[in-house]
Amino acid sequence: MSEVTSPAVAGPAAGTVLDRPVMSVDDVSVGFGPKTVLNGIGLPIERGSITALIGPTGCGKSTLLRSLNRMNDKIRGYWRRGRIELEGQDVADSSTDLLSLRRRVGMVFQRPNPFPMSIRDNVVAGVRAHGMASRSELTDVAERYLKEVSLWGAVADRLGDSPFRLSGGQQQLLCLARSLAVEPDVLLLDEPTSSLDPVTTEIVEDLLRNLVPDVTIVIVTHNLAQAKRVSNTTAFLYNGHLVEAGETSQIFDNPEQPETVSYIGGRIG
Amino acid sequence: MAIATARSSAGNQARTRRRRTKNVFLWGACGLALVLLVVPVVWIIGGVLANSLPHWHWNVLTTDQQGNGGGLLNAIQGTFLITALVLVVAGVVGIAGGLYLAEFCPPERGQLLRGASEVLSGVPSIVLGYVGYIALVAGVFHWGFSLAAAVIVLSVLVIPYITKTTEVAIRNVPTAYREGGEALGMRSGYMLRRLVLKPALPGIVTGLIVAAAIAVGETAPLLYTAGYSGNGPTFSLTHSPLGYLTYAVFTFYNQPSNSAHQLANSAALILILLVVLLIVVARVVVSFTQRYSPDRQVRVPRARRAR
Ligand SMILES: Nc1ncnc2c1ncn2[C@@H]1O[C@H](COP(=O)(O)OP(=O)(O)OP(=O)(O)O)[C@@H](O)[C@H]1O
Ligand SMILES: [Mg+2]
Repeated sequence: MSEVTSPAVAGPAAGTVLDRPVMSVDDVSVGFGPKTVLNGIGLPIERGSITALIGPTGCGKSTLLRSLNRMNDKIRGYWRRGRIELEGQDVADSSTDLLSLRRRVGMVFQRPNPFPMSIRDNVVAGVRAHGMASRSELTDVAERYLKEVSLWGAVADRLGDSPFRLSGGQQQLLCLARSLAVEPDVLLLDEPTSSLDPVTTEIVEDLLRNLVPDVTIVIVTHNLAQAKRVSNTTAFLYNGHLVEAGETSQIFDNPEQPETVSYIGGRIG
Repeated sequence: MAIATARSSAGNQARTRRRRTKNVFLWGACGLALVLLVVPVVWIIGGVLANSLPHWHWNVLTTDQQGNGGGLLNAIQGTFLITALVLVVAGVVGIAGGLYLAEFCPPERGQLLRGASEVLSGVPSIVLGYVGYIALVAGVFHWGFSLAAAVIVLSVLVIPYITKTTEVAIRNVPTAYREGGEALGMRSGYMLRRLVLKPALPGIVTGLIVAAAIAVGETAPLLYTAGYSGNGPTFSLTHSPLGYLTYAVFTFYNQPSNSAHQLANSAALILILLVVLLIVVARVVVSFTQRYSPDRQVRVPRARRAR
């Protein structure tokens, strides 16, 4: 388990501050009302890494992910114990500004959810909300991030169109562009490719690999091959417990826990 | 059916026949419902047109009523004035109420308020008129027949309607928009405006337009509150009765004079045109604000880029 605290992170991360995990989950339990969903989860999220959260349906992956940027806060009965830190500060501290937390820790959902506004305005929606660029710069910002997610070629001549005329995969790329445009430090992805075809999935995976180490990524996926392809670190959740976490190759080739062995072998889930 | 075996094909045929009969029956019912809806509409509009057009004079739009003749200018102005003020008063209160119920209200209180609103919308308009008469016109406030009394009573009449349509429109906005906004760290007020109210706008506007149509078409509560006047509205809020189109339809039709009948018919025509106009305005607003709605996925044909 020593792998968990110091995985070999590819990238230039050096120096004392940068060596510290960008986020860390420390002995976190989470639940709704009387129901406990997560039990004593501990997971450092290394700067510039891609962490995959895997586990059978209902094991608490989305709940954990949504706790990282406090998307669960408004759900009735939600409670949390333990610490979830961003750069050493608890995300629920009174001194932590929720809005800037969410700007720094972005999220992309399973189903593409473009806003009812033009394609261009979708990309810059967050940029505008945070006043990160002047009016005249917005189109340039949109172009930059559409290029980053390789959507520019397909939409360059229809930036004023409705996003709902794009294909599902293109809509998801648009949502990725929207999240990236506010320059997050961490990007949380909840099964971002589960409604996409293999070609678009590959585009997304390439994109994720290109984003690190500037952006730290946590991705929930049911696709074990995907976890293996893109992630440095893999965490296996089962019934609300973190069963095993470590370097991806370690988890897949040499799992220690019997549950991990069964899940990866296709016997649970 | 060609693959069906001989044994089951008899049963299949019986089932097919049953399905056909049901199909014919249901289509027949649909057709009948359509006829029941379309015939009265065509009849009313046709009747009004046939009765009003032959005697139509443009000067009904420019002259006040004089005895049993003259024009409808006073009534048209009155109707416009009342409707405009009702839209302002009831619009503000109704939309605020709908927003509160959809966004801010604790569920238990919401149930209570919604129930109260439903009871209010169930009160017959003539009863509201009478209450208005007692409270505003004759008793308590002693405003006399007046614009203020008319606007308040009509507003009370349509506020539950506007509240309901606003609440429903807001609740129908996909939660995915809001989630996306939250995940980007948008302020909640900003999100409400950009991602909730804007997509809900067509529903809200439709509610307002229907409310306006109700206000234009109401008679009973106005008899008790606006009274009637053959002169144009004075723009003073109290102690000044004013005319309105439905009064002209209702009263002049019962007068034993041809010129009065013609005024009634002209008033009916103007009322119908007003309602049609309201509907057209609503459509334009809706189509303009909904350019980016997911419901509008019809691709505008354009040259595809060469790859
Ligand atoms: N709002 C809620 N109230 C009560 N229980 C909830 C709530 N949200 C989630 N849960 C429960 O928490 C558990 C974990 O749910 P979660 O959505 O995190 O699972 P998951 O691992 O993401 O599953 P999947 O792979 O199907 O997305 C489930 O048992 C679920 O029923
Ligand atoms: Mg999930």
